[in-house]
Amino acid sequence: MNDIVIDTHNISRVYNPTTIPVYAIKNLHLHIRRGEFTALVGPSGSGKTTLLNLIGGLDKPDEGQIVINGTDITKLSPGKLIDFRLHNIGFVFQSFNLIPVLTARENAEFIMLLQGISKNERDERIKQLFRQVDLEEQIERRPSELSGGQQQRVAVARALASKPQFILADEPTANLDSKSASNLLDIMNKLNKEENITFLFSTHDQRVIDRARRVITLVDGQIASDTEPIMTSYAH
Amino acid sequence: MLVVMAWRNIWRHKARSLVIMMSITLGLLAGIAVLALYEGMLVSRIRTVIDEETGHIQLHHPNFSDENESKFIIGDTTEIFKILRNIPEIIQINKRTLVNGMMSTPTGTAGVQVFGIDTATEFSYSSLKQKIKEGNDLTSYKRNQVIIGKKLADKMKLKIGSKLVLMFNDTTNNLVSSAFRVSSIYQSTNAPVDERLIYVSGSELSELLGLPGQIHEIGLKLNDDKAVDLVASKLKSLLPNLKVETWKEISPETEFMVKTVDSYSYIILIIIMIALAFGILNTMLMAIMERTREIGMIAALGASRIRIFFLVLLETVFLTLGGAPLGLLIGWLLSVYFNKNGLNLSGMGEDVLSSFGFKVIIYPSFPAEKLLPVLIIVVVTALLSSIIPALKAINMKPIDALKN
Repeated sequence: MNDIVIDTHNISRVYNPTTIPVYAIKNLHLHIRRGEFTALVGPSGSGKTTLLNLIGGLDKPDEGQIVINGTDITKLSPGKLIDFRLHNIGFVFQSFNLIPVLTARENAEFIMLLQGISKNERDERIKQLFRQVDLEEQIERRPSELSGGQQQRVAVARALASKPQFILADEPTANLDSKSASNLLDIMNKLNKEENITFLFSTHDQRVIDRARRVITLVDGQIASDTEPIMTSYAH
Repeated sequence: MLVVMAWRNIWRHKARSLVIMMSITLGLLAGIAVLALYEGMLVSRIRTVIDEETGHIQLHHPNFSDENESKFIIGDTTEIFKILRNIPEIIQINKRTLVNGMMSTPTGTAGVQVFGIDTATEFSYSSLKQKIKEGNDLTSYKRNQVIIGKKLADKMKLKIGSKLVLMFNDTTNNLVSSAFRVSSIYQSTNAPVDERLIYVSGSELSELLGLPGQIHEIGLKLNDDKAVDLVASKLKSLLPNLKVETWKEISPETEFMVKTVDSYSYIILIIIMIALAFGILNTMLMAIMERTREIGMIAALGASRIRIFFLVLLETVFLTLGGAPLGLLIGWLLSVYFNKNGLNLSGMGEDVLSSFGFKVIIYPSFPAEKLLPVLIIVVVTALLSSIIPALKAINMKPIDALKN
């Protein structure tokens, strides 16, 4: 239960530090344990995306430390940070961001190729991933041939392909209709419960907030409220 | 998978990629055409030099070329000819008596180089018979006849039957003069030669020089152009008392032209490729700018900078190599066609071509031996063109690119 995956110590991210400093994130402490299904909520400009970018190693804090699974990523060189992201963090973006020239299968396989995984293992894992996201029939289709909901499920499969420590999802349902959003949430929920996969997502969507077992509210770059995680899924 | 991605990426904008590929096709075709034409012109020039002017190898008295005095004769040729006839590569032997002199006509004077020839061998050795445009072909040769070039005839207003006086120094440095009558007018593809060279009977000239029966030059033709250096070195050891020179040494301007034109053709090709490089650079920069977000996403997922660099590089190479084979193929087909049928350059002006020693009909030749350097130039162009777009791609910060 104390298996902390994400641990931020007093992190701050300041824009315009030399003129009129604007704190996107201010002195923030956050712990995320393995298997959590956490929603980051808050008004626009509250720092949700900035926090996800910092945790995802896409941005660096001006102050503080971010420890992922025991590694302080703020001290990693750019090259090592890229490698760290590849092996430890899965991303799901608001606008899907699949590689348009690759099929659904290839999009997921791309990550594994970057990791240097063998073909047999890749094939096996792709079968499993697309079964989990219920897209076995559409595996050879390109993103342009898939609906928004299907594309976001491919994005989830791609995020899972690298067997990351956790998945960061930036407003994953924002561009989806309610049916597709509900479907995606079912899949993410199932993966969380059955595979113990950690999800941290930013959202405005009340349907997502309702399904989250921990809700962190950000206001002006600081945690305004943090519900206790409901860890019902840790049966195994 | 990067290869697959790069290949599919270039087809995301079919029209744009096809335009740049066609540019590369046309650029390479232009480059090949220039190389083939130059190759054809060089071959034509070299053939003219060997077949109509110098032959493959010439033998002289060691001092003749430097001092150019008629006293430096070859001497007894019996033994020399015996040696030459025993060398299998030699297929033709020609002898000449030479002197520089002055030609005087009622309209003026001109400096000339007088070739005393044996028509039996000279006609075939230097294709002189084919070059005769007016007059008799000297089969019914009379005394004191002279064959002059058309350019000289025009300049000195000479016609068939016109009388002229040739003056030159004999072996004792006394001025000798003799009257001749124009029997024939020849025209070669080399106007400067036509203006300088005149032909008389070798036996008459040697008598006038006070050297009856003597010659200054033995010209040799071989069965293979490539055997020149080998035969020349063999002759140097067999005939140590004679100066043995190959056509390259006798006509250094032709050898210089070969080297210069070679360099020029590469310079032209490189200029074409530089122009193309900017086209490729522009296309690739557009492609990168359009895909900022996608590249940022790939970087965010964990693709290293080297992989992104390689992806852009591959796309550029595909674009370049996509057009290159077609350019080479069309270039080859056109070269083969014109090599067989000839390319008439009379539109450029027959006199202009002739003044540089070129024939009007050129047979372009596909520069097969230059294919590797050409391909290297193309690939280097592609690689250089990809550097700026690739650097732009790898310098993108994922977070900024994703905000795009």
